[in-house]
Order: sequence, then C-alpha cells, then structure tokens
Amino acid sequence: MARNKWKRMLLDHIIELLLLLIIIALWAAKPSFMTLQNWLNIFKSVALKGVIACGMTMVIISGQIDLSIGSVVAISGVVTSYICDILPRATGMGLTAACIIGIIAAALLAIAIGVFHGFAQQKFGMPSFIVTLSTQLFLYGLAGIICNGFPITNKLPGWFNLIGTGRLGVVPVPAIILIIVFLICLFFMNYTHIGRSIYAVGGNQEAARLSGINVTRTKIFCFAATALLATLGGFMNSAQVLSASFSFGKGWETDVISSVVIGGTSMTGGIGKIRGTLLGIVFLGVIINGMTLLDVSVYMQYIIRGVLLFSSVLLSIFLPKLKQKLL
Amino acid sequence: MQLIAKNIVKDYPGCRALDDVSIALHSGRVYGLIGKNGSGKSTLVKLFAGVIRPTAGELYMDDQKLLFRDPNDAHEKGIVTVYQEMSLVPGLSVAENIFLNRMPKKNGRINWRAAYKEAKDLLKTMGVEIDPREPVSTLSMWQRQIVEITKAMSFHPKVLLLDEPTSALAQNEVRNLLEFVKSLKDRDIVIIYITHKLQELHIVADEVAVLRDGHFIGKASMDEIDHKGIVNMMFGEVSIRSRPKDIAVRAETVLRVNHLSRPPHYNDVSFALRKGEVLGIAGMLGAGRTELLRGIFGADPFSAGSIELNGHVLTRTNPAKMIAQGIGLTPEDRKNEGLIAIHSIKDNLCYASMRQTVIGGILEDKPKRSRLAEKQVKELQILIPGMDAPCSSLSGGNQQKVVVGNWLNTQPEIMFYDEPSRGIDVNAKQQIFEIMWAQARKGISTLFVSSELEELLEVCHRILIMKEGAVVGQVNPDVCTINELYSCCMSGVIPHSITFAESGAEDIGKE
Repeated sequence: MARNKWKRMLLDHIIELLLLLIIIALWAAKPSFMTLQNWLNIFKSVALKGVIACGMTMVIISGQIDLSIGSVVAISGVVTSYICDILPRATGMGLTAACIIGIIAAALLAIAIGVFHGFAQQKFGMPSFIVTLSTQLFLYGLAGIICNGFPITNKLPGWFNLIGTGRLGVVPVPAIILIIVFLICLFFMNYTHIGRSIYAVGGNQEAARLSGINVTRTKIFCFAATALLATLGGFMNSAQVLSASFSFGKGWETDVISSVVIGGTSMTGGIGKIRGTLLGIVFLGVIINGMTLLDVSVYMQYIIRGVLLFSSVLLSIFLPKLKQKLL
Repeated sequence: MQLIAKNIVKDYPGCRALDDVSIALHSGRVYGLIGKNGSGKSTLVKLFAGVIRPTAGELYMDDQKLLFRDPNDAHEKGIVTVYQEMSLVPGLSVAENIFLNRMPKKNGRINWRAAYKEAKDLLKTMGVEIDPREPVSTLSMWQRQIVEITKAMSFHPKVLLLDEPTSALAQNEVRNLLEFVKSLKDRDIVIIYITHKLQELHIVADEVAVLRDGHFIGKASMDEIDHKGIVNMMFGEVSIRSRPKDIAVRAETVLRVNHLSRPPHYNDVSFALRKGEVLGIAGMLGAGRTELLRGIFGADPFSAGSIELNGHVLTRTNPAKMIAQGIGLTPEDRKNEGLIAIHSIKDNLCYASMRQTVIGGILEDKPKRSRLAEKQVKELQILIPGMDAPCSSLSGGNQQKVVVGNWLNTQPEIMFYDEPSRGIDVNAKQQIFEIMWAQARKGISTLFVSSELEELLEVCHRILIMKEGAVVGQVNPDVCTINELYSCCMSGVIPHSITFAESGAEDIGKE
C-alpha cells in the first residue's frame, strides 16, 4: 500500500523528476549552464513559444489542434512592419501612431483567423488539423506577398523593440510577458465560466451541448486566443531580431505542441492544466539551451525534437493507464 | 443436426444473466428467440457466437462438445452471426464484401473475374438478383441485409444467428427479407432469429423460444400459439407496484406540443403536459420516442409544428434556450451524452446549471458550485468516493443519479427522462422513481420514456403510445395490464377499456 503510494507520487511528478535529472546532467557537463545569466536566456528564448503554448493548451483541451500558429507569427510581424513602413511615407503619420495601427490590424487579423477556425471546424465538421493546416499555407503565402519575399528590417519603433530585447532589472521583458500571459490563462481556465466550458466541450462535446453550453463560441474563443497569443509571439520575435519575414515561425507548432503535451495535457481533449504547460515550456527551453551549449548540430536537434514530440505523446497515453493500475 | 445447450449458467458481477438454460434446436427450422429487455437473450446469442463463455454448462453440436476460444473459433466451427449493425463496407462492391479478406487469387493477384462469377453464383443460389459489381452503398437496406446473409451463408454455416435483422429496414422491405430468410430453411442449418417484433415471427418462424429473467420459459410451435400466448410467456405474472397516491396532477398545462414533425422519426405529434404530471411514452424500438424528446428539448431540430411553453410559442429550439425555459433532459445514452465521464463528480453535477453559478458573466462562483453539488449528493443519496473523483469511477446507478442531479440543479419545471433505468440495478431504479415522484410532488412535470413497460405502469399518471412516429393514443396505467400495454405498442390499437379519458383528454391535439 505504502509502496503504491510512493509509485503514484513518482508517476505524478515524473516530468519534474526528468527535468531535474536533465538539469543535473547539463550542469555536470557544462558548469556555465547553471548561471543566472543562462537561466534568464532560457526564459527569454522560450517565452515566445511559451505564450503560444498557453493558447495551444486551451485549444487542445477543447479537443482541437492549431497548426497555423507559425504562420500567424510570420504574418503578424510582417503586417505590423509593413504598416510601419508604408503609412508614415504615404500619409506623413508619426511612427508611433502607425505602429499602433499595425498592432491593431494584426490583432484583428488574428481574431478573424480564430473565428474562421472555430466556425469552419464546428459548422462544416472539418477536422481542425486540416482547417489550420490550410490557413498555415494561406497565411505564409499572404505574408510573402505583403513583404514581397524580402525581410522588412528596422522599420519598427524603438519602444516596440523593447518587448523583445528590453529588461526590467535583470529580467528580460519576454519572460515577464510570459508570466503575465500564464497568469491570465491560469485565471481563465480555473476561475471562469469560459474555462469550465472549454473543459466540458473537450471532455464530451455532445454532453456539453445538451447541458446548454455554446460549443461553437467556446471553440472560437480557444482558436482566437491562440491566434492572438501567436500574434504576441510574432511581435516579440520581430522585436528581438529587428525584422519581419514570411519565413518566421516555421515549425514552431512542433515545439509548442510538445511543451503542451509534456505538461500533461491529453491530446484527446478534456484534460490538461495551464500549470503543466509552464513546466513543459521550461522543459523545452532547457533542452534547446542544452543542445546549443553542447554544440549539437542542427540536424541532430531536429531528430531530438522529433523524438521529444513522439515520446511526450506516448507518455501522455501510457501514464494515465499506469496510474489507473495503481489505484 | 442439433444445436444443444445444457444447463447453461452465465454470471456477471452482481447478476445472473442466464440461469440453468437447456434448449435443443434442430436444423431445417427457423427459431424465433424472444424475451423482453434483460431477459438474457442477447447473452445467449453471445454464448452461441463465442463472444463470451458460460460460467457453467455446455454447448453441443449433435454429440460433439463445443468450446470456443473466441468468435473466430465459433465461426470456423460453423456458427455464423449476422449482427444488427451491418458489417458491410459501403464503398466496396457486393463481391468484395462477400469475399472480404479472402478474395480469389491467381498468381498472387486478385482474380476479379472469378470473384464476380463466384459472387454471382452464390447470389443466384440464394434466389436473388443483385449485381456483384454494384457498390454496396447503392443498394437498399434490405438488399444489403441479404448481401450480409449471403456472405454468412458462403461460409457454409451449420448455425445461422440473425440478430434483429429487420431493425434498420423500412416496413415494405421487411417482408422481402423475411421471405428470403424462409427460403433458407431447405438447407440443413439451424436458423435462430432474434427479434422483439412478434408479428415477424408469425411469418418467418416455425417455433418460438422464450426467455424471461435469465430462465428458459419454453418453446412453442408457431401454429399453436397466438400473440397473447407469447406475451404471457414473455412477461409471466407481473406484480405492478403502484405509485404513491398523494401525487396530484394540477389543472394547469405547462407544456403543449402542437403537430410536431421530423420525418421519418416522428410525424404530427400533439399532446399536453400538466403541472405535476408524470407522463410516460411507450412504444417499440424505433417508434420515435427518443427522437421526440430530443426534438422538444432542442437537441435535434424539428421540421414542422410548435411548442408552447410559459406562454411562448416556439418554432425553433436549442438546449440552451430550453434550459432557460426550465426544461431538463437526461439522455438515453448516459455515457456518451449525459456525462463527461473523465471529469469530476462535482463538475458533472454543475454543468447544466453553469449559467446560475456565474458572477458578472465571467467569474465562476466556486462556493455555490460546491453547495449545489453537495446538495444533490445528499438529496439523491449518491454514493461517491469523493467530489473530485471522475464520474467513470461510479456504478451505473450512481452515474445516473449524477445526471439527474445535474439537471435538478437547474431547478427545472419540466424534466425529460429517456430510459433512466437502463443498465442500473433494481435498487437504484427504485430510487430514481422516488426522485421523480418527489419532484412531481413539488409540481415538477415529467416526460418519461422507457422500454420497460412495467416501469411506465408503475410510475406514470398517463401513458402515450407511439407507433411508427405517431402518437396513436393514450392509456390509463391504473386499469391497464402489462400484456395489454405491450399489445397496444405492437398493434397501435388501443382498446376503449384502457384508454385514458378524463378532462385532460380533450386538450390533446387542439391548437
């Protein structure tokens, strides 16, 4: 009995334990890993995908998936930079005003994308994986047309770039943004009507509908929140590299989905925690950082990410079964 | 050839599904196997088909003892089952379906010419004209069922089990299929025909075998027994408990359904429900009862007619709107529609009442949710390991109580119960009825759909009879026996002596 309890504890915290082991191993291999500077770097670099992962957690809990986030990252940067470039020249408007218009335009576009995803999935009964894959292609193409195939560099105002490169004391601004987004999502999922609806829709859509929950609205909320957070990620990304291009954000969905699943969210919907996703993000950040420190080749990094995605989903399938056995 | 079951016992945890069943079936005859819900007929069929094994007792084919490892083993030993959910692949041709996984081959490639020829010959020996090249999706339902049976016959079975083969068929198709089944009698096989439609037995069967509460009641030749005789064998002597006398129906009408239609499920249905009334809906499977409830509740759209509720006339509904109007529905399929089984008991008790536990449209009122959940656990006496345990950890009866509690938390004025006693034990069943009565005393009206006729007689003030999508009349449960009720459901004819007639009756069907 006591042994089972111990085993359960182990299974409940297996990701934390694994993370701890990886951290110790990296520390042993590269003492520079365990410095404040490096940890701040980890948070700074992972914050971009992290904010998107918070949205993705909602989408996956609602029983759907969003593969379009990378393209939303690209188009949000491109749209904002493009407006910052064109508007002042065409109208003589100040850069700050143009940038604000650019931000609003990108945000409205994100909401439109989210509404489209939710609507197409629910009303036409299309798998969200196809709907969002289509948008992904569409948006990358659209972003390419807007920037004419070339990166738009150095068009954003200096204050905008702070969200990517600024620091508050020693803490990078992106890390602060991640924490704020995390707290807001945590609040939404745990303390609001809409959060409860998201769990219900993902847990059993028909039962949720018969209980009077508006399934379409719930799904639209998740997709729109994710697109908005991907837009925020795109802003931070553009601000960090002082540029915007249609090729930004490519492949981010893999890392984002990995971190959500590592955090214990079930791909079948209805089960998951935003808190877990934060852990998943840190896990991902440590692995990426470790690979860089250890000079792992780009190709090897791809392989490791692939294995990570596969094994995290595999774990999420077998862990609940193992736990049930111990009950 | 003979198929013999000797002293078969099958135990499930907590219940004995078959108790000392012995039966001998001869080849060249069609046996109708019947019994009401829970009589054990599907358990017996599963035993024959090798899906489950008996707890005690033996099966024989002539003197050879039968022991099945699994359904495939039973299939190889000559016992072939045609299930009511068809197992054909719609996109493939008739020939491919018949020879699925065993297409004739030549030099390692599929020999299409041989496949079509063999299929055509096979269909011809069955006496039907179906083109083997035709995709199954273009065939009518009864033709598909014949392809299914032809496929089964191509294995040269010794025993053919037909599990409700007409359940998916339209009325005019049934006759064609029954004639076809009759034509199979010339072969040296035992045909077991499982159905709940007595009128089919008179056409197709030579003998009828009746099960009741896990016991084999007896066999009778169809020439020597009439409907009434069979019904008596099915139900035996049933003592119907009566509902408490203190539940009074008030004069006020709370719900009026006017000419509601959703072809082909239900057509031109009109009735009125009074305050505090428990109104039952009886009918055979497929009569449109569940669809009607779902239509009124707004779970599925109806195509014509209207619903009168609280002075509003509604021509379009949806669940959210009906919940706001004070209606609740415990769905037929508890696991897939009534509960979110992976979520906690507390959550499941609060989903339908979510609108009432919200502060300022956004925030959740957590203390109120806890209060609501605890209230139902206490009042409905739900046995739980803890509020946060998943619903999947509960027994069927307690799960059903959670579903009911979820709805009672919305403080409904009208409750719809669709097969609330399905898959729950006798005690829990009685408790569910007590809940219904307790609510009725408070003036809550109830619509109650059940396939268990004795339940309807026990619980209801009045019972509507549905047949083929229409309400054909209403019965007074106080003067009606279970056999009479069963006959009403089957024939759609309600004798004057048991017709419900009181001041409420004139409301029915009026605009």
